[in-house]
Amino acid sequence: MIKVENHILDILQLHEYGMAIGQSLDYRESCDLFIKLLLKRKNLNAAWILEKKDENYQSTYAIPLGQKTVVDADSVIQVTRDIEESTIVKRTDLISSISPLNLEEGMVAIFNLQDQGYLFLYSKKDNISEKDLAQLRPVIKKFSVNLKACKAFRQQQQLLHSLEIQNQELSDYAHMVSHDLKSPLRSIDTLTTWLQEDYASKLDESGNKQIISIRNSVEKMDTLISGILEYSTIGKTHIEAYPVDLNLLVKDILSLIEVPDHIAINTAILPTIIGDKYRLQQLFQNLIGNAVAYNDKPEGKIVVGAQEKGAFWEFYIQDNGKGIPDPYFKKIFKVFEKLETSETSTGIGLSIVKKIVEMYQGKIWLESEESVGTTFYFTLAKNSHGAT
Amino acid sequence: MLISTTNIDEIITAISAHVNDNAVLISVGEHTEIDIKEFVGALQQSGLEFMGGLFPRVIHGNTVLEKGIVINTLNNLETLFLVENISTKEYTIPEITFKENQPYSLFTYVDGLTSNISHYLSELYENYGMQTNYFGGGAGSLSLEQQPCVFCNKGIYQDAAVVAVMNMASNIGVRHGWKKVGGPFIVTKSEGNIIKEINWKNPFQVYKEVVEEHSGLIFTEDNFFDIAKGYPFGILKEDAECIVRDPLMTNENGELVCVGELEENMLVDILNGNNDSLIDAAQKAAEASVQKATAPRKAIIIDCISRILFLEDSFEQELNAITETIHGSYPDLSIGGALTLGEISSYGEGFLEFYNKTTVVGLFE
Repeated sequence: MIKVENHILDILQLHEYGMAIGQSLDYRESCDLFIKLLLKRKNLNAAWILEKKDENYQSTYAIPLGQKTVVDADSVIQVTRDIEESTIVKRTDLISSISPLNLEEGMVAIFNLQDQGYLFLYSKKDNISEKDLAQLRPVIKKFSVNLKACKAFRQQQQLLHSLEIQNQELSDYAHMVSHDLKSPLRSIDTLTTWLQEDYASKLDESGNKQIISIRNSVEKMDTLISGILEYSTIGKTHIEAYPVDLNLLVKDILSLIEVPDHIAINTAILPTIIGDKYRLQQLFQNLIGNAVAYNDKPEGKIVVGAQEKGAFWEFYIQDNGKGIPDPYFKKIFKVFEKLETSETSTGIGLSIVKKIVEMYQGKIWLESEESVGTTFYFTLAKNSHGAT
Repeated sequence: MLISTTNIDEIITAISAHVNDNAVLISVGEHTEIDIKEFVGALQQSGLEFMGGLFPRVIHGNTVLEKGIVINTLNNLETLFLVENISTKEYTIPEITFKENQPYSLFTYVDGLTSNISHYLSELYENYGMQTNYFGGGAGSLSLEQQPCVFCNKGIYQDAAVVAVMNMASNIGVRHGWKKVGGPFIVTKSEGNIIKEINWKNPFQVYKEVVEEHSGLIFTEDNFFDIAKGYPFGILKEDAECIVRDPLMTNENGELVCVGELEENMLVDILNGNNDSLIDAAQKAAEASVQKATAPRKAIIIDCISRILFLEDSFEQELNAITETIHGSYPDLSIGGALTLGEISSYGEGFLEFYNKTTVVGLFE
């Protein structure tokens, strides 16, 4: 009669093996934790993993360390051809040839790790049984998933690292370009100013107009470069979040921008939100500024309002301006996409707006009817604080 | 060879004469009346290549000594090196080129009172694998106060190990003779050598219940080790004797402090032994090494100091059982060794382990 205790022991051993899996997302450490335990508990001598790489197989882990091995796929296929899950075989020269270690006589248990290759367990003695295979199969399946997770995690880390570098490079590039582009612009501006001052009387009307045109273009170019720099830095710098009363913020904006007398702006009661005042001001100023700039009615009306929507605040800026044709509803939020050719528009303002809204985990969209007016809606998450 | 003199010049002369141009393994009893630093300094000046350790007691033939120096020649030495910072794991095991189809033996003495010895042994096996046999023990004082206790040509160190690798065949027998009286249990929480939970419960309560029932004794405030020395833990291992861990004391949280590390989720039994089972096991360890040997030149015994604490006067019988077995086949073979704080070898040439309360017998060819 088999003692009950032996059954318990088998189960408890599975517990120990199972608990050694998934403790790390580092490939080598995961292998060490599980495979070294197997070697100790089952009194085995060595283990290694072969994984397919291009046309060959290479050793991705070995204990003892041995030589990093690359073996041709044919040899591995010959050994592993009929192994769906696992098998035990005697050591052969062929198996030795696909091992990173020097093997003497003995037994080799082979487990199919599917996408993760094959795990080989070697013992000099005849101490691996079919029962061992049956016991280990489920835990080794779990181990295989752990290895897959390790690789995915490593790829994710590499990707993140590469993205961080690319982001930094882009940011550096934007700074460099804007600095280098602004320097000749400043020279052109200075020279045309001198030209205007010193030679105004010597130039005819057309010449003077052309100088003014050059200076306007220079100013637009300067605004455009500043906009690109602004756009590239949003979300990349650390911000201090604090409560911002949007009623005061909009009031400040209205005192800053030039609002013609024929345009009336009504502001509903707005909430106080946690965030970065500078970015929030950019957001509201760009949208209110656009509503003012593109209003063609003799009695312009602009309404700024907000309502609570669960975890978000939803804001709207409504005008009775020119309206926006349907095909532009999404395009206008892309960098350099603009509705009409204008001397003052850079095509970057709404891109900045969208980026700021996304920093607050919100969305922006619009409703519009040509000649009737436009309403821009956007949401800001209450708990986001605009942190990146 | 046993050296009894305490005159350092005489000791150096005796060692030089014994080993000629070979390297030497030196085991020093901790109560030997010499200044160990002065001794190591003199060895450094002598031109000898050496490694050694300070032990609670040393073995020479049939005798166990608190005082005395036992030396063994390290023939065909390939390399001898020091590994520092065992506890912090900040070391690199040097690369060795092993010749194919040649037997090698690695001998190591490690500070038995430092932490992360299992990691050190794992690193040794990772680097040298199946290319060599492994043999050794933990050095240190029976006072259990950590102090410089392993030495080589670089000096005397604590938290370190010394290693000699020889192009030499060896045959090793390992046994302990402790038998299960309770378990299996799961070490559900541990940290280094401290068991913090067994089966999600206070470890001392679990241990106490089994041991008091089996022994008929009651734990009091000051008798833990007196009882516990007869009830070690056994880490379960398939197809071999379990690995013994010695519970040394309880701490203020009722946790069990052991000699040697225990990892979380490992399965343990509570063991007990008697004079007969331990002596029989020691004899079997000797038999295992003798059976595999062909032409041994010396025998080295690494036996746990806690076996003598348990067996007391009967330890003489254990040592006799070993020496008689060896001399039964090789009457003139010199036998030396040490009583250590932990023993090092592998069962069946498998993964390297750190044992407690175990007898390791090595015959070197």
